[in-house]
Amino acid sequence: MKDKKMLIVGGGLEGVGAALENADKGADVTIIEKFADLGAERIPRDRLIKPGEGFVKPDLEKLRNQSNVKVLPYSDIKKISRDNDKIQTRIVKHSLLVDNSKSSEATKVGIKVCPVNMYDDFDEGLSFRTAFDYYNSETGNYNIYKEDMPACQRGCPINLDIRLYAGLIADGRYAESLAKIREKLPIPGSIGRICPHPCETACNRQYLDEPISICFLKRFVADVEINEGIEPDYETPEQKYSEKIAIIGAGPSGLSCAHDLARMGYENIKIFEALPVPGGFLQVGIPEYRLPKKLLGREVALIEKMGVEIQYNTRIGKDIAFEDLKKEYDAVFIAAGCHKGLKLRCPGEDDFEGIIDCVTFLRDQALGNIKDVKGKLIVIGGGNAAIDSARVGWRMGYDEVYILYRRTKKEMPANPWEVDAAEHEGVKFQFLAAPVEILGENGKVTGIKCVKMELGEPDASGRRRPVPVEGSEYVIDAETIVGALSQGTDLSFLPADHEFKLTRRDTFEVDEETGATNLPGVFAGGDVATGPDIAIRAVAGGKLGALGIHKYLRSK
Amino acid sequence: MIYEKEKRYIIPFTDVPSSRAEMPEISVDERRGNFTEVETGFPEAVAVQEAKRCLSCRRCLGCGLCLAEDNEDSIDFNIPGEELNLEFDEVIITKGQDNAFHPIKPELGFDVYADVITDLQFERMLSPNGPTGGLVVSPLNGEIPGRIAIVQGSSNEEDEKHLFSSLVLGVNESILALDKTQDLEVALISPVCQSFKEKFSSDAEQISSLGIIEGIPESVERKGEEGPLSLTYSTGGQNKTEDFDLLVVLTKEKISPEIMELSRKLDQEIQ
Repeated sequence: MKDKKMLIVGGGLEGVGAALENADKGADVTIIEKFADLGAERIPRDRLIKPGEGFVKPDLEKLRNQSNVKVLPYSDIKKISRDNDKIQTRIVKHSLLVDNSKSSEATKVGIKVCPVNMYDDFDEGLSFRTAFDYYNSETGNYNIYKEDMPACQRGCPINLDIRLYAGLIADGRYAESLAKIREKLPIPGSIGRICPHPCETACNRQYLDEPISICFLKRFVADVEINEGIEPDYETPEQKYSEKIAIIGAGPSGLSCAHDLARMGYENIKIFEALPVPGGFLQVGIPEYRLPKKLLGREVALIEKMGVEIQYNTRIGKDIAFEDLKKEYDAVFIAAGCHKGLKLRCPGEDDFEGIIDCVTFLRDQALGNIKDVKGKLIVIGGGNAAIDSARVGWRMGYDEVYILYRRTKKEMPANPWEVDAAEHEGVKFQFLAAPVEILGENGKVTGIKCVKMELGEPDASGRRRPVPVEGSEYVIDAETIVGALSQGTDLSFLPADHEFKLTRRDTFEVDEETGATNLPGVFAGGDVATGPDIAIRAVAGGKLGALGIHKYLRSK
Repeated sequence: MIYEKEKRYIIPFTDVPSSRAEMPEISVDERRGNFTEVETGFPEAVAVQEAKRCLSCRRCLGCGLCLAEDNEDSIDFNIPGEELNLEFDEVIITKGQDNAFHPIKPELGFDVYADVITDLQFERMLSPNGPTGGLVVSPLNGEIPGRIAIVQGSSNEEDEKHLFSSLVLGVNESILALDKTQDLEVALISPVCQSFKEKFSSDAEQISSLGIIEGIPESVERKGEEGPLSLTYSTGGQNKTEDFDLLVVLTKEKISPEIMELSRKLDQEIQ
């Protein structure tokens, strides 16, 4: 026990208690607490209080006098990992913005003049406070609560300064607003159309009425530029770097990585794209009616104008060996996405023509490869790809389009506004139904055997688990069936004996701060590292990779 | 306005309510058989109006009023934070001080009536160091209540352990409130009061002065403009309605996502 180094996370009653207990045993204890103060008094919840007794207080006095206890208030764990028997951490101790070694008379005055007025959360919102934290009688410290970003910006995976660009739009300064967005996001018109906007989910205005329509504001300024025929200037810095960087995949992640590197001054960036078109899922996953490809093409062309080269129709592992790429380039960024549709795993799936996974279906449609459109289309699944497939099918001219989902509308993972739009357009939903068997004749699909489901107990995801109703099987006729369960990575471009560390889901294991894989000089980001996720998070992965590559090449 | 607390810092927002701009779309008839973009984009006036809805949320924005009062230069917005790389042999994860809670049954009017408060707020109110110096007052009008009801707030009543520990907190809060307030009447309504009475039969004397009722709260309404809260609860298979001056809702604690993530990452329980 002696000299054992312990980290206690949380400076509440439990944390302080655990710290004292272990310090008494001789351990070397560090308490980390994200707020500026340690534990408050609490009323017991595990026993009845005796007459005359009331609150239980953490013994902060004793804590202060323990020489083997170190307190890190107002601190966050930025990184933590187990490494053999040790735990490695990176901790950020935020600045109090007050030098507490000086007399605090002046800061007392500061509290009085501070114009910020917010509910005092320490008193659970029963009183008000300023941006100054109260004089902490236990530690004698003040701090000023100065947030680095508001809720929307914090919610955005790439921390776009929404307050700033919305403010510029309110002032009619559209070009400046777009320029500010573009500093971080090279594809604002595309993202401004299709982003599920975590920023709006975080928007504080929802507590007053409804969140701001942030996503569409971004689209608005991008559209203004096109409508007015403005050609934006993308400046690259004077300081240039000559290292060669290869990027696999021209999707949102690869494009963002290339853009950021070009902005840093890298001149030799080449993206290898397997398809004849750029954009990845934005091009061949998200349908035209949500994101016009002409617009996407323009945004890609702007990135190319910065000196980024895109080589199309080049599949790594087939046209160029991955190992050669690694040898020839100073750094490689893998942004291959998740372009493999998962199987339904029911009998008959591989036996007939007319059954197709949603990734292939959407891609073939986007590339103009589906000619034979007739009869009934059934889409199986409840995510955004299922809704996209159904709405695409409806537009292509299938006589009837059905979505089969094993839970109810409420549990669908798709964006609710997309579900409503599909319903509105005439897509029919069969909820609480699951496929049992694909039926066919003469090598072609003729229908699908389904079973009715009912909702049972909640599962790990918190959604109620669907259970088949015995004897409720029925058959729906169909000429085409699209399975839209989920997507996975396709790592067939790697040599069989590759040494990458992968997760259980066959995605790359990458460093949280640099996007680096376990092989030096190789980075990965976007869906190939996160699994299927939203576009803006793929952008974030690309940006992280660019930073990681820059750091790596500059310290080489 | 008070809303469900997710973060530590809560700011009251004031603005004229205005609804969110709707995205114009082409009609369904125009969509069949083609891939024309459905959403047509905000017209300029709508976009500007929508941008103006931004409350520009900010806390301290560095206005410097405090700097002007600070003769000793102890305030400095440029003091940097520190980054530390530390190695440990062992980590103990505790739930921290977030005090977030699961949603409260909407029928109980927590967001609506200022005199419906949480057990956490009541705890602060009872503290000699709290906002009222330990005095029990109604946040609605600052008056000392005559009748308080303490009820379960979550609509999901399956977690017996939670129901039990929150009832213990409710009883303890009642004891403190009765101790400090003259002529106060407290009613505790809980679905586990029978097993509670059995477990604490040795403390029967202490809890006998409290009205503990086996039941489940159903809904809350205000009588008239400034009247008392009228609480309807089900007990013994029927609904009863009574008036109270303050309603305390027992909450179910919610561990912060960061702590959950940490526990998952280290594959270690939260203590």
